[in-house]
Amino acid sequence: MSETTSLPQIPTSLASLRESFAGQSSSTRALLLMAPLIAFELLVFVIPFLILLRISFAEPSSDLIYEPGSWSVEAYAAVVDNILAFELLWSVVSYSFLLGVAVTAVTVVLALFYAYAIWRATGLVKTLLLFSVVLPLLTTLVIRTYAFTPLLSPSGTVNDILLSTGLLSESVQFVPSMAGAVIGQVYIVLPYAVLAIYSVLATMDWHVVEAARDLGASRPRSVAEVVVPQAMPGIIVAAVISFAWSVGAYAAPGLLSENITFALHVEELLLGDLRYPTAAALSVIMLLLMLVSVSIMFAVLNRFGGDFDLA
Amino acid sequence: MTSTLHREQLENAAFRAGYGALLVFMLLPLLVVVVTSFSASGRIAFPPDSYSLVWYADFFESTRWLDAFTNSLIIGVGTALLATLLGVLGAFGQELETDSVVGSVVAPVVLIPLLIPPVILGITLLMYFNEVGLRGSYASIILAHTLWATPLVYFVMRSVFSRFDWQQLDAAHDLGAGPVRSFVHVVLPNVKHGIFVGGLLAFIISLQEFVMALFLSTPGTETIPVLAWTEIRQALDPMVSVVSTFLILISVGAIIVAAIATNLEWVSKQLS
Amino acid sequence: MSEITLHELEKQYGETTAVEDVSVEIEDGELLCLLGPSGSGKSTTLRMIAGLETPTGGEISIDGDDVTDDPAYERTTSTVFQDWALFPHKTVRENVEFGLKMRGVPADEREQRAESMLERVQMTGYGEDDPTNLSGGQKQRVALARSLAVNPDVLLLDEPLSNLDKRLREDMQIELREIHEDLDETFVHVTHDQDEAFTLADRIGIMDQGELVQIGDPDEVYENPTNQFIESFLGDTNFVDARVTRTTGDAVYVDTELGTELVLPTDAEPAVDEGTALTLSLRPEILSIDQPSADGGTAADDTGEQLATDGSSRTAVTGTVENVIYRGSTVRYSADVDGTSMFAERTDASTGALSAGDRIRLEWNGADVLAFREDGTRVSL
Repeated sequence: MSETTSLPQIPTSLASLRESFAGQSSSTRALLLMAPLIAFELLVFVIPFLILLRISFAEPSSDLIYEPGSWSVEAYAAVVDNILAFELLWSVVSYSFLLGVAVTAVTVVLALFYAYAIWRATGLVKTLLLFSVVLPLLTTLVIRTYAFTPLLSPSGTVNDILLSTGLLSESVQFVPSMAGAVIGQVYIVLPYAVLAIYSVLATMDWHVVEAARDLGASRPRSVAEVVVPQAMPGIIVAAVISFAWSVGAYAAPGLLSENITFALHVEELLLGDLRYPTAAALSVIMLLLMLVSVSIMFAVLNRFGGDFDLA
Repeated sequence: MTSTLHREQLENAAFRAGYGALLVFMLLPLLVVVVTSFSASGRIAFPPDSYSLVWYADFFESTRWLDAFTNSLIIGVGTALLATLLGVLGAFGQELETDSVVGSVVAPVVLIPLLIPPVILGITLLMYFNEVGLRGSYASIILAHTLWATPLVYFVMRSVFSRFDWQQLDAAHDLGAGPVRSFVHVVLPNVKHGIFVGGLLAFIISLQEFVMALFLSTPGTETIPVLAWTEIRQALDPMVSVVSTFLILISVGAIIVAAIATNLEWVSKQLS
Repeated sequence: MSEITLHELEKQYGETTAVEDVSVEIEDGELLCLLGPSGSGKSTTLRMIAGLETPTGGEISIDGDDVTDDPAYERTTSTVFQDWALFPHKTVRENVEFGLKMRGVPADEREQRAESMLERVQMTGYGEDDPTNLSGGQKQRVALARSLAVNPDVLLLDEPLSNLDKRLREDMQIELREIHEDLDETFVHVTHDQDEAFTLADRIGIMDQGELVQIGDPDEVYENPTNQFIESFLGDTNFVDARVTRTTGDAVYVDTELGTELVLPTDAEPAVDEGTALTLSLRPEILSIDQPSADGGTAADDTGEQLATDGSSRTAVTGTVENVIYRGSTVRYSADVDGTSMFAERTDASTGALSAGDRIRLEWNGADVLAFREDGTRVSL
């Protein structure tokens, strides 16, 4: 077929494509539109997880990374035994969850406060506060965490200031330490948490708070009675995000503490020791543990949202 | 009366001090990054002892950093295009058929990857791409980043579409526009800002993401954050600050361009 | 110019039925108003005619062609929407041109036609405006121009005036009427406002709970409502509970909660038995207001019923005025008649003004009373 004859066919075929698309009923059209997304999630998310699950049930192998075609619960048994014997994996898993809980608690409190401040602020202050939330989001978390090293190290800026003002008599080692990891991780998740809560507050009517004050509630009390319950959907999102990302934290603990988190350990298993089934099994177990914790958190917070009472 | 007033003032002062401290906490690390990039010495200290542009000069001579820069851009643009296409079509399809069973399954499935620690996603995809032989390609990282960027585009578009007045689509059909033409002439012009913002978010997500990229990249596809991580773990020198400053500038620049682009049109519409 | 036939039209959303068994012939050039409360299925019916909803049963044909399964963009109808649905990103003129553009009309012709349409709706000079900056009335005019521009066979109006204030709404009703007379096209207008329906319509179709309960000329519908729902929907009235005590060849005698026996003259043998529970409708316009005679007025000549030889029956009751409401051109008196609340209206407030606590005498012709059975159906008298 020569080029001259094939060219005019392009618009024709496009038109017929359009025509056949237009000919579908609206529900078929909706499915066609969603098809690429569904295919993508299937190919890049669902199937890979099934493969992860499959590998977690494979036998470890000394020359290959795992024994293809084999079935075994050896990897799970090893992981569970190790955890229950309070060995290395116990400390890895418990430290990850400890970090997750600590970061979530700090983040939610700070985020609620900051979101409230943004909500109440006007004009330039509001813009500045919002800017301070969005800007860190635009920076890679590698950089966000690494900037804390010169600030928090024993010879760093914060220690210098505290020493020179006489608040401290000797320098404190903020990094590397658990505190450093918490600070770094809070910094990573705080912007997301603030935005999640702020987006809910932004739809709220300030008059409701005024009504509470008018009825005799003090300011902190009016926040606790009116703002917090209404912001609960945002708080739940903020808590779930903070928790999920902090349990799986990689960069902050890696740079700012010497403890090994799950994420750091699994990287070692995978890239250092090439123990794929163990890495896969540990991942699956972590996911399950996270799922359980998030469900519990969700249930508890939901109850709070349902009938919140300070008394 | 005076005691209440006093208490209010105290509360106000405490409130201001509180969010002021948080403001400093949010911006200080970024300030550290930008300021230390102008450091003259090879040691990261804040504030630096002396200032110079030597590290900027070094950056433009380092092929490794420049390559990483190119890689980041390729992967970022690829992610933005793919995630926007998937997210916009998916959200529109769901809007057309709000009560479909498929739709109610799609939304959570799209969202879940955002809540799974990137390390687990990284491991999973590493094993998967090893199986299917995509390891070491740009595509592997673009697909991984799209997994994170698509939910954002998808939910941005869901909220944009939910604010769209669907009676307009009825009106377009009623006036003789078929499904395709009514989308192009009526829906698209109304939601294009949303699409733009969604795409921009996807680009920025990809530019910043490093855990999945760390697992999936090879020396040939190394992105800026991956290289930065490697460098930081070896030695803490101001080069990373220089690169970070560039990253911050690109992101801020993209946002400003977006704001101007959307606003200029608004301004011109007001003038005409 | 087109006639529309709806045959046993039905629309279900899952378990709920929005429209049920609607059959109607809409004549060529007619202005039909579909009148009903919200949720009565009138808008759904209109949207099915437009092709914006697919019926779950029945057929629609326009000019004899079955269009039931044709999508909106292939139909020769055009809709003016309740919120007008103007395209906010297009100018007023681009909005008006849109339908023509979709039909492939060349640009200069489009522009000309858009101009003349804008002129017709008195919006000349607004072509380059942003529709979001227009007032409600102006948006409504643009929406009308946009629909008329495609020269539709049928113009469908989905409560387009409901978002306008009263004064503007009345002006627009007259304008719509004029445009309809000018164009001589078929209009189907949906509204929940009975005044609007009576002002506009050649015929009125009344819908209730998805069904078309009555259709006819405005005066016919008003004079002869077929059921109690229509009677209550068409305007304020006094419903009085009653029970049939006896029937004769030319009258039905009922006991009422007003404490008096009333007589309802009939033309033929009435189709009600003794003991049947009825609801009577005493519209305010049939009630004449008086002060009872000075002596206290408990005498038989003052209240009660008399059946006159001409078939009319003057009936009167007395009660106590509870409150007086000035409603601009009319004054409304609420009265307590033997424990039952009734109201009547007077156009002239000055003569013999009554105030709360005064005795009041209400008189009417028994032939003007409408009666309904417990299931809402009308008793023909």
